[in-house]
Amino acid sequence: MNHHDLWHEIHDFLVHEARLLDERSFHEWLDLFTDDVVYWMPDRYNALGMTDPADGISKPGELALFEETKETLHTRVARLATGLAWAEVPPSRTRHLVTNVQVEPSDRESEVKVRSNFLLYRTQLEHSQDLFAGTRDDVLRKVDGKWKIARRTILLDQTVLSSANLSVFF
Amino acid sequence: MNTPAVSQMKKLVDTTQGLLDRQIFFSQEIYQQELERIFARCWLYLGHESQISQPNDFIATYMGEDPILLCRGSDGRIRAFLNMCRHRGNRVCRADQGNAKDFMCSYHGWTYNTEGRLIGVPGMKEIYSGELDMDRWGLVPVAQLDIFKGLIFATFDQEAPPLLEYLNGQDRELSIMFDRRAGGTEVIGGVHKWVMNANWKYAADNFFGDDGHHTITHMSVRRVPVDKRYYASTNDDVSDEKKRGLGLIAEGVIRDYHIKHFDELVERIGPELADRPGLVTTVFPNVSPNFTRHMIRVWHPRGPDKTEIWSYCVVDKDAPEEVKKAMRLHLTQTFGPAGNLEQDDMNNWVQCTSTARGLIARRYPQNIQAHLGHEDKIGPIGGGRRLRAFYARWEMMMKADNWSQVDLKTKYF
Repeated sequence: MNHHDLWHEIHDFLVHEARLLDERSFHEWLDLFTDDVVYWMPDRYNALGMTDPADGISKPGELALFEETKETLHTRVARLATGLAWAEVPPSRTRHLVTNVQVEPSDRESEVKVRSNFLLYRTQLEHSQDLFAGTRDDVLRKVDGKWKIARRTILLDQTVLSSANLSVFF
Repeated sequence: MNTPAVSQMKKLVDTTQGLLDRQIFFSQEIYQQELERIFARCWLYLGHESQISQPNDFIATYMGEDPILLCRGSDGRIRAFLNMCRHRGNRVCRADQGNAKDFMCSYHGWTYNTEGRLIGVPGMKEIYSGELDMDRWGLVPVAQLDIFKGLIFATFDQEAPPLLEYLNGQDRELSIMFDRRAGGTEVIGGVHKWVMNANWKYAADNFFGDDGHHTITHMSVRRVPVDKRYYASTNDDVSDEKKRGLGLIAEGVIRDYHIKHFDELVERIGPELADRPGLVTTVFPNVSPNFTRHMIRVWHPRGPDKTEIWSYCVVDKDAPEEVKKAMRLHLTQTFGPAGNLEQDDMNNWVQCTSTARGLIARRYPQNIQAHLGHEDKIGPIGGGRRLRAFYARWEMMMKADNWSQVDLKTKYF
């Protein structure tokens, strides 16, 4: 497949994923991940100077906002499905906007590296509004002819989150 | 049944009747008084020694709404200052953490060392004719700073009693979490920080003494099959009676670790404390350690209807890496903005705060009557008594003109 077609395929995949999230089809969304997925949202902070791009990002092994396996993602989705997870009662209305998609080959033939930026608008109840902006570094793997997310690193741009909780997915 | 009205209350906090005036979650005037009478006077938690383990390490934090620089000087001593240039007020440090020998203000270049001394003023000769007394214009230091088991506290009140006196025995409780092993504790890097539109007291009283909310607020977690490594939640499933204090601890590597070192714990803190079912509390006013979740939580006030939440992961320094990792993952799964338990707390507090905006709502007091008159039926550490005790302490600080009017001996926990 040439790069142009590959890009379109990946882009369609990400747009489809965003739609599943916005429609709250969380079980279908879970199916987009490999069983060995690492879903990670490190912490951001203000470092001195910021000379290294890794400055201001918590390291693997430090406290993260999300540090998930397929199993823990399942628990989160199951919890939301109880209807008793009050952070999502009533459910948030979300709009996952995905842009700036870049696709690069990976060392493994079955995988590609994908970077995308996102803007997640979320509103809930009467007045609550949140905007989450950031970037995602994904590793997508072809499994039985379908793309699956094998690794996702989410960098939110805020250091102090201006929202009461993170009860939505990225 | 009669609905009590605020007009029937003699004061903002009525622990005898178990009533709270909703003003205290709404009034800007009361909030300003809280900053003066509570946050400018009480011992406040600044950080953990392990966060500034090396000379010139610093972290930025807050005492009330005042930005603070907590530094370990090049001499190894720990100090804390207002993070404010004495010249025009710019912050002298914009980083959250790091290592620096000095701090230069980015406005006019006044420069301070880690002891807080003003060591450089551009234009000293040309602008100030060499007359500026640099000794008088150092960073504003806290009045007192002390460390208990790695926990760094400070106060801006010279008259405040010493930290241990202030803790009045709560230091014994804290040892359940911070004195288990000879090596003490350490903070794992990475801090959860987020903001909610709720009054700080809802969160602080919740950790101190709102035992009654677990079943309803966090019921979703009981309804899904969960990994016992993350959600052990009964106190009955540790067969060895001696180790019942570990019943709330997650199964697997974390509980095994604590069982392995239980004798050491008993030796260090005694059987009575070792047997307690963990530790979730608030050191008045706004730091809440939670042993079960390996967490220190700080509630920074940001107005009557806004709180900035900072959350740290704390582990025994001597614990194996595998155990530290399990504790970190446990915390991420349960607490923090994305925690499956804590996600559901914040909106409750936000709405409790927002209803207090209502004029009519404020005519009706809040009910803090849990176990009122039946305190003998609850255990030595739990129950609604603690909720009332939190507000009794709050009221005492708000009323006291000086520390001689503060009775720290009051058993409030």
